[in-house]
Amino acid sequence: MTTGFNRRGFLATTGAVAGGLAFLGPRKLMAQEGGTLRFALSTFPPTFDAWTSGGTAAGTIKLMMHRGLVSYGSDGMLRGELAESWDVDDEGAWVFKLRDATWHDGSPVTAEDVAWTVSEVQKPDSAAYMQGQFARITTVETPDDKTVRMVTAEPLAVLPGWFAHYHMPILKKGEAPDTKIGSGPFMLDKVDRGVSISLKAYDGYYKEGLPKLAGIEATVYADENLRVAALEAGDVDLAEYVPWQAMAQIDENENLRLDGVDGPFMYLTFNGSRAPFDNPLVRRAVAHAIKREDIVQAAFYGRGGALEHLPITEQSEFFNPDLANSWNYDPEKAMALLAEAGYPDGFDCVMLATAQYGMHQSTAEVCQAYLSMVGINATLDLPEWATRVKKGNEGQFDLAVMGTTADNNDPDGLGNVLDGSLPANFSRSYGLETPEISELFAKGRATFDSEERKAIYKQLEEVAIETTPIAGLAWRSQGYGMKASVTGFTNLPGQLTFYSGITLEETVLG
Amino acid sequence: MLRYIAYRTLVALFLVWFVVTAVFLLLHLIPGDPAELLLSQGGVAADPEAVAALREKMGLNAPLWQQYLEHMTGFLSGDFGESFRDGTPVIEQIALRLPRTLEVIAGAALLAAIFGVPLGTYAAIRADGKADALISLLASVALSTPVFVVGSVIILIFAQNLQILPAGGFAPFSQDPLEHLKLLLLPAGTVAITLWAVITRMSRASVLEVLQRDYVRTARAKGLERNRILRRHVVRNALIPVLTVLGLEMGTLIGGTVLVEFVFNWPGLSGYLVAAVDARDYPEVVGIVMTISVLFVFLNLVVDVVNALLDPRISLVKS
Repeated sequence: MTTGFNRRGFLATTGAVAGGLAFLGPRKLMAQEGGTLRFALSTFPPTFDAWTSGGTAAGTIKLMMHRGLVSYGSDGMLRGELAESWDVDDEGAWVFKLRDATWHDGSPVTAEDVAWTVSEVQKPDSAAYMQGQFARITTVETPDDKTVRMVTAEPLAVLPGWFAHYHMPILKKGEAPDTKIGSGPFMLDKVDRGVSISLKAYDGYYKEGLPKLAGIEATVYADENLRVAALEAGDVDLAEYVPWQAMAQIDENENLRLDGVDGPFMYLTFNGSRAPFDNPLVRRAVAHAIKREDIVQAAFYGRGGALEHLPITEQSEFFNPDLANSWNYDPEKAMALLAEAGYPDGFDCVMLATAQYGMHQSTAEVCQAYLSMVGINATLDLPEWATRVKKGNEGQFDLAVMGTTADNNDPDGLGNVLDGSLPANFSRSYGLETPEISELFAKGRATFDSEERKAIYKQLEEVAIETTPIAGLAWRSQGYGMKASVTGFTNLPGQLTFYSGITLEETVLG
Repeated sequence: MLRYIAYRTLVALFLVWFVVTAVFLLLHLIPGDPAELLLSQGGVAADPEAVAALREKMGLNAPLWQQYLEHMTGFLSGDFGESFRDGTPVIEQIALRLPRTLEVIAGAALLAAIFGVPLGTYAAIRADGKADALISLLASVALSTPVFVVGSVIILIFAQNLQILPAGGFAPFSQDPLEHLKLLLLPAGTVAITLWAVITRMSRASVLEVLQRDYVRTARAKGLERNRILRRHVVRNALIPVLTVLGLEMGTLIGGTVLVEFVFNWPGLSGYLVAAVDARDYPEVVGIVMTISVLFVFLNLVVDVVNALLDPRISLVKS
């Protein structure tokens, strides 16, 4: 073909388009003290109902807008919020003394509000996360505006911890569960559904000089890589759920800082309603068959640690060093246990996990490889998350990979994972009765003396290691990435990591 | 011609009904309980009583035929129902998000046409030369690279390394037009790359074909200037099939922007569909699928009608 097309004309056309891009200049830096913090959320809260379990991103937004009776400090210790102090009276009831706090409309927070909140959460159709626990509170009395007295059916040592949960804020009497009125450091300003949530500082907040920020712009970056890209590009100041593969690059970037803690954990659940996992020897064999370090490497890029006991962190006062490696990797022991259980040649089974989250799938693959070495041939079932939940709830599996975090650092928070007397749920083993463990949980809740409680939970852990209602696999690091100039934001220790939003009230943009 | 259009419209309506019904039934066939998912975010255990109460509130305890009937009668009166997740009317979300998706597609089509037509034409007139080989190679690479790879590379270059464009997100045009355009550029550019490859190849093939027509040879024989032949006789005629392809591609792109919207955090309609399916938010999924299928069918209808108008043989056969 020899027809000469005018090259200059062609270049002129494309050049004009390229010239149109000239309006792009370098991104300006916007962060400044007292300014608006740009927070990268991992997902848009599926609900703004204050007491409904809406996940951890919803929890972070709640911790900006709302306050409970108590909360946790950056050291992980329980501290007062709307309650100034709390104690058990002579009759065994919990008495909370309220401080002078106000709602975002300026009216005072009263004992009536607290009593009303408890009664609303207790309603059978409340869909509240704490509904089951709150059923144990029999009466709430309000002797005066600043005093709330809660009578419980049996002694309840763990009750204040319930009021610290981010799904359990106190709401103003008569407000809808998704009210905009809270008593927290920030007020809801604007919501662009699925996109962003703007909050501005509440100047009537009960803590002198807080919050330090003028506001927070929480933007949803559902893709984890984009969240990191946005942090690196300077689009946001702080990002939650830093993916493990990006942690090293944030660590190495001098403009950024990574704050990670081991809190959430991975574990195996069993279908105890049928053979072979109705046999505790088989379950313990599984626990000894898997080399956890490989899971930490494969699923979490080395960001985490082996979990060879119950998920109680080393920093916890309830941690038992002598039990720390009770489910250690010991394939010979595993094979001996299988032989003792009557399966010397192993067996075939189905392992449920999900392909939707890489960490679940990688964990399942490593488990599958190690189990095959002791003769357990697990076929992987990897549906997407919704189906995984359904199959878990209905017991359509033999063993399953699961990941979660406990409610708090108190071992009682592990009840959701371990207590077989609770209704069937995908986060627990299926059809696996644990009467001794259930009794010890009840005993722990009713005991106020700290040393006594430690002894109870140690006994509980011993029983759990022997009977293996779940098999611990790995701790996973939960990380927040931020600009190096952001100060005051702290990733709370252990299982409290998702409560870290509480420290936004002290966060400063440098 | 009118009979042809009426016939095509009826077929289109039937198609929309069929797609919506199929999606409704399939959604209820696959496992996953919206109430349970909503109450067990983050892997926590949901209380069965709370799940049961929420199911009742969502109307999930009604028989399937009743739920279907409610959906369909709702559609006829313009009511798409309310989202399970937060109770907002689905139609509001669609009205908000559809223009954003169309904006990405329109931007992509514009970019693809601006770069695709001239490059395809250039490749055709230099057929079998180095430039042609290079352009064809680029188009092949662009076609075979998955859109999320293109998106990630673009983010790496423009946002993370050069830091001249935001990594993703959205700013309403009414509030910050410049920021809006900056945010639009990367997702539209990503979609444009595949579309560009299609347009370039189509333009090249089409121009090559026209170049061999008798009237072009006649024009050359008459001694007309080369560029004039190109402009007046070649490109103009070659563009007709290119435009048809562009129109059809726009339809498929509505579904194709899902990954792009996800990667760039562009809050459009197709990306939102993924979140709705994940949460088993039936009213949202059905509403979004209905909107997309109406658009798709409508675009096809327009292309068919335009073709019929341009080429009398089509309408003669059908009518």
